[in-house]
Amino acid sequence: MIHRIAQSAVILRRIKPPGGVVVTPCYYSIWKKNVPHQFDRTPKNAQTTTTTGIRWHGGSAVGADAPTIQVTFIHPNGTDRSVVDARIGETLLQTAHRHDIDLEGACEGVCACSTCHLILPSAMYDNLPEPSEDEEDMLDMAFGLQETSRLGCQITVTPEMDGVELRMPAATRNFYVDGHKPKPH
Amino acid sequence: MATSFGSCRLQRYWRWGAVLRPKHDQQPLRLAAATTTSASVNVVLIRTLTRKVAIVGSGPSGCYTAKYLRAAWDKNKEDGEIDVIERLPTPYGLVRYGVAPDHPEVKNVQNDFDALFEKEGINYYGNVQVGRDVSIASLREIYDAVVLATGCQSDRRLGLEGEKNYSNILSAREFVAWYNGHPDFVHIGEKVQAALGGPIDEDKVRDGVSVVVVGHGNVALDCARVLAKGGKGLYDTDIASHVLQVLGNGVAHVSIVGRRGHIQGAFTIKEVRELVNLQEEGFAVSFVVREEELDMGATKDSLEELESAAGRPKQRINKLLRSAAAKKLDDNQPKRVDLRFLLSPSSWEPSADDPSRIEALVCERTRLEGHACAQRAVGTGEFERIPAHLALLSIGYKADPMPGLENHFDFERYTVRNERGRVERPLDGRLGGLYVAGWLKRGPSGIIGTNIPDAKETVASILDDLGSLEKWNEREVDLLSLLQEKGIQALDWGAYRRIDEKEKMHKRAENQPREKITDMKELIKTALHSSA
Repeated sequence: MIHRIAQSAVILRRIKPPGGVVVTPCYYSIWKKNVPHQFDRTPKNAQTTTTTGIRWHGGSAVGADAPTIQVTFIHPNGTDRSVVDARIGETLLQTAHRHDIDLEGACEGVCACSTCHLILPSAMYDNLPEPSEDEEDMLDMAFGLQETSRLGCQITVTPEMDGVELRMPAATRNFYVDGHKPKPH
Repeated sequence: MATSFGSCRLQRYWRWGAVLRPKHDQQPLRLAAATTTSASVNVVLIRTLTRKVAIVGSGPSGCYTAKYLRAAWDKNKEDGEIDVIERLPTPYGLVRYGVAPDHPEVKNVQNDFDALFEKEGINYYGNVQVGRDVSIASLREIYDAVVLATGCQSDRRLGLEGEKNYSNILSAREFVAWYNGHPDFVHIGEKVQAALGGPIDEDKVRDGVSVVVVGHGNVALDCARVLAKGGKGLYDTDIASHVLQVLGNGVAHVSIVGRRGHIQGAFTIKEVRELVNLQEEGFAVSFVVREEELDMGATKDSLEELESAAGRPKQRINKLLRSAAAKKLDDNQPKRVDLRFLLSPSSWEPSADDPSRIEALVCERTRLEGHACAQRAVGTGEFERIPAHLALLSIGYKADPMPGLENHFDFERYTVRNERGRVERPLDGRLGGLYVAGWLKRGPSGIIGTNIPDAKETVASILDDLGSLEKWNEREVDLLSLLQEKGIQALDWGAYRRIDEKEKMHKRAENQPREKITDMKELIKTALHSSA
């Protein structure tokens, strides 16, 4: 109701309150403007059909009835912690995304980038199978690379991981892919 | 005491609300609509302004900036409008036109970015060139923050004598844009074809043809790999169809040259491994690295670089190249890629038959001097002649200042001077702030993911400034009305989706992700067409 009134509201006169803020009369519709071209501001949460196409996704879909363990994600600032359940069989990247944790997965979990980089506790790192050559290649480009770094999309959750703490690397200002700091040459 | 339907501290969102306040309470309100007076209260219908941010450029830096800005506002329960303005009809910048066609998984990030426009309500304005169709100054009058994420539109040149005049010297940037189907670079095909010897059957190797690629980054290796694989080797990818008859089944010989050693090489191991594996994968290309050049590059200081904190990636590259150099060369392959080190381009040798073209690049052998992580190439006085029908310069992309940016431009580093992404603070009530993200901010380095911390830093600066504003732009126009005044047809997200759907429908091969439309007029026509 108030919207209808609002829609047709017109300012009656210029108001100049003390303090000097000048109010300009105008007529403004809160609905989308009619524009001659097909221009359309997409409203939030618009339903759009997804297109099919060749997509590569990493990690199998693990059902909600899968057994779970508990893991902790330590955020890049070093202090915030998220204690969440991880389903056996999913990847750590999937765990993070299920809980809306801010771990990027630019390539959607197919080992083609380094954005899901996590730093593991040494005990966990030592007990995992060796990373593949592809994963090592991608890790080379990760910022904040440590001795116990792994890609979240390449680690499958197992019962032995119950209680582990996973550190998300702090973003650094060093933007060279190999961590190098260049000097003029 | 005033109460209202919305926050009366007026965080800045346009919406209708009512304020009940005592008549004698004459605090300035930001904006007021109709008022009625009654008894001891004023009922005032108010409008409050939405925060509006414009991001110029929809490549990875622009899209990550939009993503983190939206995420920060969501987290703080704030609202605002984000408009992404893109020069081309299609978004995503180098993700679409830079990433090599045989790296399709790297392009998966597009799905993440699609969600910004489809679910998060971020607005897309394609086919609008800031600097030409609308100025940065006009944008700053409408928006509270304007972020420039336009990347690099130019490249560094060697500057050797006569370089500008030879028709068969191109930049790698142009070559990559051409094979990726960029509508502004279709004309490059003619030059490449003329250099390589005319049109050719898709199945035939260009025997006797040599190409030299100057540079030791991933772009140089991508160019070499695409030239070696040829259109035939990339048939099932989204490489543009106009490439097939130009590259055929690949060129016989590609040399990649750079002035420093393998430990200084800017390439990453994945791209080197792809060259090493070409033969094994059936592309009939042998890969050659000379052991002597690896030895010459293994100076005491370079070896120190291997041991440094950042040395891990380089150690693995060193190991890979050493094992490649140790393998016996298979001379039976019709094609060959040579990765050369410690050769500094010295002069172009014009062709005897046609002085408007080069037929070789003469390089000077170098040696390395200087401390670890600062090794310099110094000439030795020995020269080597590398024959070439085509030369590609891949020594760095470069940004040019767009109109209005000259005062802020650093002409030595080719970036915009900024402090954590901030170029100019907003002027209360008059001009939005100016910010940069991506290559325009830090120079042409890094991978797609490097834009993540970069964008977060710029977003933090924007939020800082927005949070401390006291007065807001009154703004009576918005971008669309500005564009309509000038007769500019902006393309919205739906328009891009029409292009996207058409490209996925009309493929030359079933396994292709898409067949790119390379003609600008056709792109726009497809975008505006409302039916299938």
